[in-house]
Amino acid sequence: MSKRLKALLWLSSLLITAGTVVLIVVSIVVTDDHPLSTLSPVGRQGRDIAELINPIFIVAGVVFFLVQGAVLALWWRYRVAGSDTGDGEFGYYEDDEFPEQIHGNNRLEIAWTIVPTVLLAVISVFTLVALFALDDVKASDEDVVVTVIGQQWWWEYQYHLDGDTNSPPDFVTANELVIPVGVDIALDIKSRDVIHSFWIPKLNGKRDAVPGRSHDWVIQAEEPGRYRGQCTEFCGLSHGYMKMVAVALPPAEFAQWRDNQITPADIPQEGTPAGDGWATFSQQCANCHVVNGVTSAANRGGDPESAPDGWAIYGEFNGPNAGTYTDELVAGAAPNLTHLMTRGTFAGSVFDLYLNAGDHIPYLNLADQATLNRSDLEAWIYNAPERKPADADDLRGMPARTGLTPTDIDNVVAFLSTLD
Amino acid sequence: MTVTDRTITAPEETLALPAGPAIAHRPLGVFTRPQGSEGWRSWLFTVDHKRIGIMYGAAALFFFLVGGAEALFIRLQLATPNGSVIGAGTYNGVFTMHGVTMVFLVIMPMAAAFANYLLPLQVGARDVAFPRLNAFSFWCFLAGGMLLTSSILVGGWFQNAPDGGWFAYAPNTGLLFSPSKGIDFYAVGLQILGIASLVSAINLIVTVLNMRTKGMSFFRMPVLTWMLLITQFLLLFALPVITVALFLLMFDRLWDANFFNVEAGADPLLWQHLFWIFGHPEVYILILPAFGIVSEIIPTFSRKPLFGYHFMVASGIAIGFMGWGVWAHHMFTSGVGPLSVAAFSVSTMFIAVPTGVKILNWLATMYRGRLRFTTPMLYAVGVVSMFTIGGLSGVTHSIAPSDTQQTDTYYIVAHFHYVIFGGALLGLFGGFYYWWPKAFGYKLNEGWGKASFWVMLIGFNFTFGPMHILGLQGMSRRIATYRADEGFALWNMVATISSFVIAVGVAMFFWNVYVSTRNWRRAGRPNVGPDPWDARGLEWMTASPVPEHNFDEDIEVDRLDHFWHRKYGKDESGRIVRAATAEEVAHDGSNTNVHLPSPSYWPIVLSGGILLVGYGLIYNLWLAAAGLVFLVGAIYGWILEPADDPDAAGHHDDHDDDHGDDDHGDPDGNGGPSGNGESASPETEEPETEEAASVG
Repeated sequence: MSKRLKALLWLSSLLITAGTVVLIVVSIVVTDDHPLSTLSPVGRQGRDIAELINPIFIVAGVVFFLVQGAVLALWWRYRVAGSDTGDGEFGYYEDDEFPEQIHGNNRLEIAWTIVPTVLLAVISVFTLVALFALDDVKASDEDVVVTVIGQQWWWEYQYHLDGDTNSPPDFVTANELVIPVGVDIALDIKSRDVIHSFWIPKLNGKRDAVPGRSHDWVIQAEEPGRYRGQCTEFCGLSHGYMKMVAVALPPAEFAQWRDNQITPADIPQEGTPAGDGWATFSQQCANCHVVNGVTSAANRGGDPESAPDGWAIYGEFNGPNAGTYTDELVAGAAPNLTHLMTRGTFAGSVFDLYLNAGDHIPYLNLADQATLNRSDLEAWIYNAPERKPADADDLRGMPARTGLTPTDIDNVVAFLSTLD
Repeated sequence: MTVTDRTITAPEETLALPAGPAIAHRPLGVFTRPQGSEGWRSWLFTVDHKRIGIMYGAAALFFFLVGGAEALFIRLQLATPNGSVIGAGTYNGVFTMHGVTMVFLVIMPMAAAFANYLLPLQVGARDVAFPRLNAFSFWCFLAGGMLLTSSILVGGWFQNAPDGGWFAYAPNTGLLFSPSKGIDFYAVGLQILGIASLVSAINLIVTVLNMRTKGMSFFRMPVLTWMLLITQFLLLFALPVITVALFLLMFDRLWDANFFNVEAGADPLLWQHLFWIFGHPEVYILILPAFGIVSEIIPTFSRKPLFGYHFMVASGIAIGFMGWGVWAHHMFTSGVGPLSVAAFSVSTMFIAVPTGVKILNWLATMYRGRLRFTTPMLYAVGVVSMFTIGGLSGVTHSIAPSDTQQTDTYYIVAHFHYVIFGGALLGLFGGFYYWWPKAFGYKLNEGWGKASFWVMLIGFNFTFGPMHILGLQGMSRRIATYRADEGFALWNMVATISSFVIAVGVAMFFWNVYVSTRNWRRAGRPNVGPDPWDARGLEWMTASPVPEHNFDEDIEVDRLDHFWHRKYGKDESGRIVRAATAEEVAHDGSNTNVHLPSPSYWPIVLSGGILLVGYGLIYNLWLAAAGLVFLVGAIYGWILEPADDPDAAGHHDDHDDDHGDDDHGDPDGNGGPSGNGESASPETEEPETEEAASVG
């Protein structure tokens, strides 16, 4: 082996080793914010999963070091020095020596078939126990059940305070799922269009939202906080921009929040900026967005007849086939904005509604909007597809409203600011 | 680059056919067969399994560059939070095409390259069972590959590329949600590729079952042959399933069928089941050939036979069977119900057992060996090491509750890249280095090979290693971008930089090919000899590059690693001593009196018809009708062309009866019969034959 090559080899191995060490150290040191981390569960289910998998990670780690160690040991011990370049470019390598020609060993083969089988059998027992325990998610009849509906590219939450998902929901929100701390919340996961997947990593694993199907799931948070989520089944153009948040509030605050959510909004006074904004909103936005008590079915003008064929799939939730749902409580094809200002994010949780707010999101009907993220909100209203890819021509995502003047947009924001 | 002295020879007194029979051989006058084995035309019409194998390899490497470029765009887009290098729409097309390209146009055809080139050699046959079908497989594959890849360009840059992910979940692939032509290209292109693979699978299965040389019983076949055979069976059974799914999808999109229309009552899980019933065996279709290659390389460079040959074969078969019982582990979060999840969780866990057996047998082969870390050996050991990582992360996925956290995150991306890149691709690259001298008569440069390996390996580990961390930190797959406050920036940047290190390693491979070829030419094209690595399989028992007729005479195999045992024996003390040199044992390719199947125009014409039908289905049915005319015409041409070109090769009197090759039947039943209608066979009963001028 040429000296240069040898040096290169050593350099490479050194780089690998050093790199691995750096990798591990950095990943431990850099424990900064990973709001979607599966490694620091805060919910009961997330914790159960972590407790199941962590020992298996350790077993896998041991096997990893055994195999890699064996490779390196065999390399170090049995490599014939110089044998890997001795044949030059066009010649042969000559070696007259032979190791013992071992063809196999049946006992060994049986051993290393049985040992991993037994190991995996043990693991499978723990897995099955955990699996069926986690699947046991039936909530009692009185508990809150939230129907979670995925659509391109945001989440809708319909709260059924009596636990009856066949009755109209008590109120409807979007993107931020508020739950009381310490309580198992049953979710009924559905989709209006393509397959999505609901995932709040710190609370529980994910569950797909499949159109035409209804999937049970449950989440629970052990501590108050905001827990980020991300749609994890590829759902088309803006899949990466389909996020959500679960907000866990202490029970008393949750009750306060709930009571506020049920309250419809007030129509702002005419002549004020908010009043003018309401007028603009009614013309431009209320076709799709509902604000309970303010917009009406007439505003929505939702004319399914003019929509493309496939659009009729929305009929179950919207339009003439809305069934038992009351118009006021059901969003159109867009998030219900009745209490927009009590959410921390908008546009599929892609943008923060408040800047530098940390955890101080005014969930509880607070009117202090000094930190309102006006620039993103205004840009979003003016030209949404520029901020988040969409295909509004095919009714997928919010269309641009570039016809609006800056004053119009100021007014609309003023109106939205009243929705607390 | 290839041999320059291939000759097809004819006896002097070519049983000169009188006019009558000649006309019978050319019923319409135009249906002669092409001649010659030199020049670019001979490549278009060749039916030689070795040339077809080389073309598979070249095409796969071309598509590898395409898929690799797509990968780099993915990494550029994700390098920083809120990335906007290519944007979400293009990103979806790019990652879809990256996956489709790497699976269907790179790994599968690379494996097909080795299967075509090596399977007949390893079983001691002259060619595959159906040489023209073999040519058709390649051209049909190329047609499908070009159709799919052209979707990147037609109608604008990535305007009509498939954008539903390689898994193309319904209903996101319906017209309503994916209005561009992309999914049409996907559905039609994959069906064409499926035809190619299916034809090839049947061809190779028949080859192994029927064309083995005398004495080549199943348990004397090399492990690579075994793994390729299992792979072909997996293809045979898996491809119809995906074809059904693609057919339904095509009907949904082109003719308003309702197979996946939820509004009309469809259940989107139907697609998922069909896709993964194909998709999981597909994983083993990708990896088993590499397992076979590693099983060839490690014994050679350990100077020991493969440890536990029968267990290696059996574990391959076990994987082949068990691979059918694990598909729903791709659907743990899809809502298939806890009982299904439990069943597939357990079955998935246990498929790790036969895979583990393979790893341990490779290690045991190296144990107490005399290890030579040549470039192929580096790649093979790289597979053992890297695939283990992918296997272990695979076991963590089988823990279904935990998989609900991991699935569709970068942890999965890391896992399958360790399996497909660290396992399949490294193995196939090792195969390139190992069999390059066999195919071309000179070795690739060791220095560049090793450097390329290490650069690739380091780049690989720092690209996909960090993705384990990213996945556990909650980064989802297939997202075009991420927020700055999600904490993914660091490792994404590391992965992006490292992906370019991989690109450098790949560039070094291509540079190596160039440099090695140049040096070899400058050195006056010295021949590396039949057996440059002191190897064990029958493919080394003939000249390099392999002459068109493979072997000068039929080989009678008397045990596993027949060739090695011809070279080495034992002295009285039981020490292994050389009995003969490779040159003495190996055939020198001098037998010019071998009858070979003539080239044919029709495989490429038929594939052209299929390509037209493909575009026609997507754009204009009239074009499809034209393609159909082409296609039917080609089938007629195929049927009507004479078995031979009467003016070219010597013997054409034994081609109308299917089993006319009495001279090498297989009386002891140990191996298969080694001849049939289309296959080449030696003509040993014509001693008066003389050298004739080379044709072409």
